[in-house]
Amino acid sequence: MSWFMGIDIGSAYSKGVITKDIELVASHIILSGTNYRASAETIRAELIGKLNVTRNDIANTVATGSGADNVHFASQKASDIVCTARGINNVFPQARTVIDVASQSTRVIRLNENGLVTNFTVSEKCAAGSGRFIEVIANVLRIKLADFGPLAARSKSPITFSTGCAVFGESEAITRISEGVPKEDIAAGVNKALAGKISSLVKKIRLEEPCAICGGGALNTSLVKTIEDELNAHLLVPQQPQLITALGAAMIAAKPATSHSSKEA
Amino acid sequence: MYFAGVDIGSTMTKVVVTGKAGDLLSVIKGPTGAGYRQLANEVMRQALEQAGLRIDDVSYIVATGYGRLSVPFADRQITELSCHARGVYSLFPGVRTAIDIGGQDAKCLKIDNGRLVSFVMNDKCAAGTGRFLEVTAATLGIKLEDMGEISLKATRKIQISNLCTIFAQQEVVALLSRGEKLENIIAGLHDALASRVAALARRLGIEPDLVLTGGVAKNIGMVKAMKESLGCEILVPEEPLITGALGAAILANQVYVKAAAAGEALPTKSRRLEKATFFSQESR
Repeated sequence: MSWFMGIDIGSAYSKGVITKDIELVASHIILSGTNYRASAETIRAELIGKLNVTRNDIANTVATGSGADNVHFASQKASDIVCTARGINNVFPQARTVIDVASQSTRVIRLNENGLVTNFTVSEKCAAGSGRFIEVIANVLRIKLADFGPLAARSKSPITFSTGCAVFGESEAITRISEGVPKEDIAAGVNKALAGKISSLVKKIRLEEPCAICGGGALNTSLVKTIEDELNAHLLVPQQPQLITALGAAMIAAKPATSHSSKEA
Repeated sequence: MYFAGVDIGSTMTKVVVTGKAGDLLSVIKGPTGAGYRQLANEVMRQALEQAGLRIDDVSYIVATGYGRLSVPFADRQITELSCHARGVYSLFPGVRTAIDIGGQDAKCLKIDNGRLVSFVMNDKCAAGTGRFLEVTAATLGIKLEDMGEISLKATRKIQISNLCTIFAQQEVVALLSRGEKLENIIAGLHDALASRVAALARRLGIEPDLVLTGGVAKNIGMVKAMKESLGCEILVPEEPLITGALGAAILANQVYVKAAAAGEALPTKSRRLEKATFFSQESR
């Protein structure tokens, strides 16, 4: 029995997990802030504290995400694509496509029957195509991110945004509010716009079911439902979708990709 | 005989009143803003006051800009592309290429003898418009109008790697916390916007004389960055905001004189300075 750590430093949130072999035993999420190195340290301290173990008990640590370079205590870095694939394969071994709706971009990854990446595509770094659009509009609507999905679900007539830009969308949302449009119709409009962009990204590399969705965007239940409608497919949603990539990093820490693939092959 | 052009942009509302010979009688600018989009009547009132005229004195009024459909006292609407082309040409008869960078879009116009030949525009992404600077100035805690002057002190341009305005905002915060100099960051932001607009203009082909207008042309740092990006000289009107409204007033004059010569009676709207209702005609 050994402990492994996966740290995923994203542009908005930093996530960390500890696994005992392949079982998730501790997790922690914080805002990344501007000092990624300090964020990584904080996550490690919190994780270790939760389990009552010491640093030395962690057999191996793998870092991923756009800030992976700042995790100085990791033995190696792994690409977020590989980590997400590995993580989702752990939770849903049957998944052949995974959509990762993150704060800066959306990634769609195709996996083979062994859970290995066969193809992937990443959205442009455009806020209107990523989870950031939700954050921007949630801020305008003065609601918590957690309330965004349930609020949008109540809408009967989602608004249509006239541009595909989050900055212009923000102004448009403000105008709509001043016109007395209900908040839920604006929130649902965001989900509709985002779902449209995400599904065209999925179609770019062809959808193969079963399809899973992860990343912070998957916490927005109404977004998930809207994407399902767009794609006409059921989406598998993990319990803690934001942790999937960190989980994958911990899996790689436990078993590097090469031995993983040779075992599976 | 007097004529007026009303240009309702996303950020500013501009009114120009001219006499029969095209002489400028008054030029007024006021914010358009969100929620206060109904102020065209107020800006018009000020313009008339400055010219010493009453609304009934104005023979013909043309509205332009993205809010042109909701100016209740305008006799006719003409697209901002035609009005800009006409306005720029009246100031710079040698103009072949006009670039207008506004608060919500950027347009590049090819002009031949004052006529609009072709155009390209970006109104899809804030990163290629004045909004990019507006948003990042707010993040930097400086006034939009101070950006130009500050950027002139730059010793180098910091490359901004994010295209998206929202992510650039985050990048700017990170750059500040890393201790980068404000002026170098701003020079980088100017460079980023200029190269995007230059790429747009190149799709059309650039021919001199090139004129830069719109609110962004008031930023001396942006004019410099555009010169560098385009690799050619740039002419900037003394008041780069009003070319659309000026063109609208000139076209109002032309339309009116032409109709009068043909003996036609032009339908005009009621000369009451009513508030504009911006989105009333649009269905959600």
